[in-house]
Amino acid sequence: MVNTHYPTSYEEALELLNIYKPTIVAGGTDLMVRKRAWSDLPTNFDRDVLFVGQLEELNYIDRQGSNIHIGAGVTLEDIMDHFHTPALLSEAIKIMASPAIRHSATLAGNVVNASPAGDTLPVLYVLDSVIVLESVEGIRHVPINAFITGPGKTIINDNEMIKEIILSGHKFNHKVYRKVGGRKADAISKLSVCLIMDTKKGMIQNFRAAFGAVGPTVVRDLAIESKLIGKSLDWLDENIEEIGKWYEPIIKPIDDQRSSASYRKACTINLLTDFIKHIKHHA
Amino acid sequence: MVLDISKSINKVDNFEKITGTAKYIDDIKPEGCLYAKTLRATISRGRIVSRKYPDMPEGYAIVDYQDISGQNIVKIIFDDMPVFVEETVNYFGEPILLVVGEDKATIMSLMHQISIQYETEEPVYDYVDSKIHKSYIKGQGEAVFDKAYKIIEHTYETGYQEHVYIEPQGVIALYEPDKISLIGSIQCPYYVKNALMSVLDCNEDEVRVEQATTGGAFGGKEEFPSLIACQVVVAAKKMKKPIKLIYGREEDMAYTTKRHPAKIKIEAAISKEHEILGLRTHVGLDGGAYIGLSGVVLLRAMIAATGAYTIDNLCVSGDVYITNTVPTGAFRGFGAPQMIFAVEMMIHHIAKELKEDAYKLRMKYLAKTGDVTSTSGHFIEPIIMENMIQKAMLMSDYEAKIKKYSHDNMNKGIGMSWFLHGCGFTGSGEQVHIKAIVRLKKDESNRVHILVASTDMGQGIKTTFRKLVAHKLNIPMEQVIFENPDTDKVPDSGPTVASRTMMIVGGLLAKAADQLKQQWKDQEEVMVEERYKQPEHIRWDDETLQGDAYPAYSWGINVVEVEVDPVTFEVTLLGVWSVYDVGKAIDEQVILGQADGGLLQGISYGMLEVMKNKDGRIQQKTVTDYIIPTAKDTVFMETELMDNPYALGPYGAKGAGELTLIGGAPAVALAIENAIGKHVTQIPVVPEYIMELMKNG
Repeated sequence: MVNTHYPTSYEEALELLNIYKPTIVAGGTDLMVRKRAWSDLPTNFDRDVLFVGQLEELNYIDRQGSNIHIGAGVTLEDIMDHFHTPALLSEAIKIMASPAIRHSATLAGNVVNASPAGDTLPVLYVLDSVIVLESVEGIRHVPINAFITGPGKTIINDNEMIKEIILSGHKFNHKVYRKVGGRKADAISKLSVCLIMDTKKGMIQNFRAAFGAVGPTVVRDLAIESKLIGKSLDWLDENIEEIGKWYEPIIKPIDDQRSSASYRKACTINLLTDFIKHIKHHA
Repeated sequence: MVLDISKSINKVDNFEKITGTAKYIDDIKPEGCLYAKTLRATISRGRIVSRKYPDMPEGYAIVDYQDISGQNIVKIIFDDMPVFVEETVNYFGEPILLVVGEDKATIMSLMHQISIQYETEEPVYDYVDSKIHKSYIKGQGEAVFDKAYKIIEHTYETGYQEHVYIEPQGVIALYEPDKISLIGSIQCPYYVKNALMSVLDCNEDEVRVEQATTGGAFGGKEEFPSLIACQVVVAAKKMKKPIKLIYGREEDMAYTTKRHPAKIKIEAAISKEHEILGLRTHVGLDGGAYIGLSGVVLLRAMIAATGAYTIDNLCVSGDVYITNTVPTGAFRGFGAPQMIFAVEMMIHHIAKELKEDAYKLRMKYLAKTGDVTSTSGHFIEPIIMENMIQKAMLMSDYEAKIKKYSHDNMNKGIGMSWFLHGCGFTGSGEQVHIKAIVRLKKDESNRVHILVASTDMGQGIKTTFRKLVAHKLNIPMEQVIFENPDTDKVPDSGPTVASRTMMIVGGLLAKAADQLKQQWKDQEEVMVEERYKQPEHIRWDDETLQGDAYPAYSWGINVVEVEVDPVTFEVTLLGVWSVYDVGKAIDEQVILGQADGGLLQGISYGMLEVMKNKDGRIQQKTVTDYIIPTAKDTVFMETELMDNPYALGPYGAKGAGELTLIGGAPAVALAIENAIGKHVTQIPVVPEYIMELMKNG
């Protein structure tokens, strides 16, 4: 028998979480689909369900120093329109799913769902996001790349929930988010990229690249990124193809019902090299 | 009363559809109703060697082939599909039995306790096992290939298309000791009735079929519902209770009929002077595990072998191949969309290879009034395509754009398709098989009841039929009644398919209304009847496939403009323009609705909708994975309707429902071809395919 819990405070939610180890539902836009059953039958949840979408304490977006803190209960639609929200994240949300889903879904849900095709994840990786987890035992901060370990897999404990997500509010000189889906809305990504670069006086100061749906998790390669830092834009211009080649080993997509591995790989590299090509133009 | 019949009025079912009060099949909840769930085969080909059924609790039962009193065959057109698997399994997901009972959770638990053992055989997925072969020739046939200066050959391939009607398949059987009734989300009440009489081995008056308000069909509710209707009436007879069977979306997408995938090979014999002497065309259709109505789909595809053109010499053949996959079936256009795509690409590819101007070449062969059709009949009615082409080119600025895009490397392209669609059943179908009957009944309070078996599935005949009859009789529409058809009340006016409803059934209704006007007696009941008679000048030979394949043709032009992303190869629509000749619109807004919906369905068939089999299993079985367009994927569509009344249609109306889908795929494929400068030979033209073309082509 599966029970549902509807706490009225965050504190109560944490206590219920500790007792029942339930499945946490905020917007439910992934879970309700995954747990669907024959019409008229209850959903197929195998554990108790804890509803947290109603908790006002989790419904906030704050700026603290150069960081943005987004509460686990904020819907994507609210995040998209908020003045603190980094432009890259707003862009990603704008083309995500449909208005109905965005009004219910949360950023925390997209993170904990841990799909390699999760639309906001490449942005969160590039913004060096930190996931703040809380349980009755305390709080811990986990970088997103350590938080997500595989498709649908995270290191969250069964008495923990996401309290908030902290991301960098830094403004980049050059940035792009591109999602390639089967259609222009309501699509699961075939692939997605988030790329940023800071340049000063013709030199690269900062470069980050995250790729979605091309491996078991979103991928970033810090070694390649650091190789680029300190290089000149002239050097960059001459080494576009080369940089594409550096990335090839970590772009390991699969064939599935939505696209082919070869398309995903070629298109990901194309988007990367296209981004770099345009840097000098706009530098 | 409106003076011009084309002037739009509100659809009569707007209110109930918009407010959500319309009762669809799942909204109907008969007293004591039991639910049914289908157990399906888990192999693609083989035999069932043993079945282990659990002990059934009181009120629950397994319904399988042994419960069938009549024939274990779904009577459609070619009767080869069983209602339940007896021994042989021919596709993954083939229905073996139903578990029925009151509580869905109990049904699910019983389903898990059933064990079926199989002996598997090697499945066939390729086009090798032809079960239907047809051919015809025109003029000198393939003899012209002997004197050809050059032969140009291409093979075109099209994929599955899934209907994605808003409402999935569903039926309810009601039990009475001397009569079983079936209510369903269906297009063709009498198809279902005939199938039920066969499976129950009973008389005409022992079954009744009623259409529930139907949330979309697109051909998907032409023959498929007969299968589940047969299953539930067998269950109702066994349980002596109402039985409800409603498919979930995933079950519907994985195991119901789809558009036939096709491989079409066209060879063109070209003279030294660059004339097209003749075509040799072969079309292969993947029929899936059972033939059903695939033979008729094949025929429509073959007859469309020259599209909107006149070619003097033809040798056309076709095969329906049986594979161990889900059966394919009726879908808006019925074989024509596959062939029109191939023909439109071919004429452009011929022009390219001859270095001729495509427009000039097309104009040279464009069909004209009086021309001999592909099957050696005649285009008797006036063809106004030249005028329509000029209009479409003006609306879309086609001439300037095609010139610009062909020379500049700007990733933009424009494509224009020309097409026709034969209205009504193919060949002698209307005369020999359908024999439509319609009635109008005037009651004592002077209300006029439309008695036909035609169904409104969203296309609007509840509005247009009432409008037509009211207009003819010069009475207010409120005085004309048109209920969902019930076979106990209405005669067999034929199925709601083949763009025949307004032209054929509406035509008969208009005649009946004229008759009623003559016999009108105030406050007395009057019944009038009309029966279909083939026009004298229409001749067709079923054996040789020679003669007038259709009583009339509707015509269309689609222009599509696209931009192809050079980095990701994604395609964005920039503009869509159309001109249609449907004779006369009985309601302009209804036709424009068909135009927008049909064309978008056609364009997405051409560029978005991927459905594939892997080991006989459909891979895209959710609306997440099967990509139909959203509002964001389309643009404003500009449509112009021509007035070209057809003498035998009501107020001049011809068919419209299918026409609007047919030109979409070639128009968008031609636009993409124009943008990327490579030969497109298959649809859908998805980014993955464009990438391959850019790499290899």
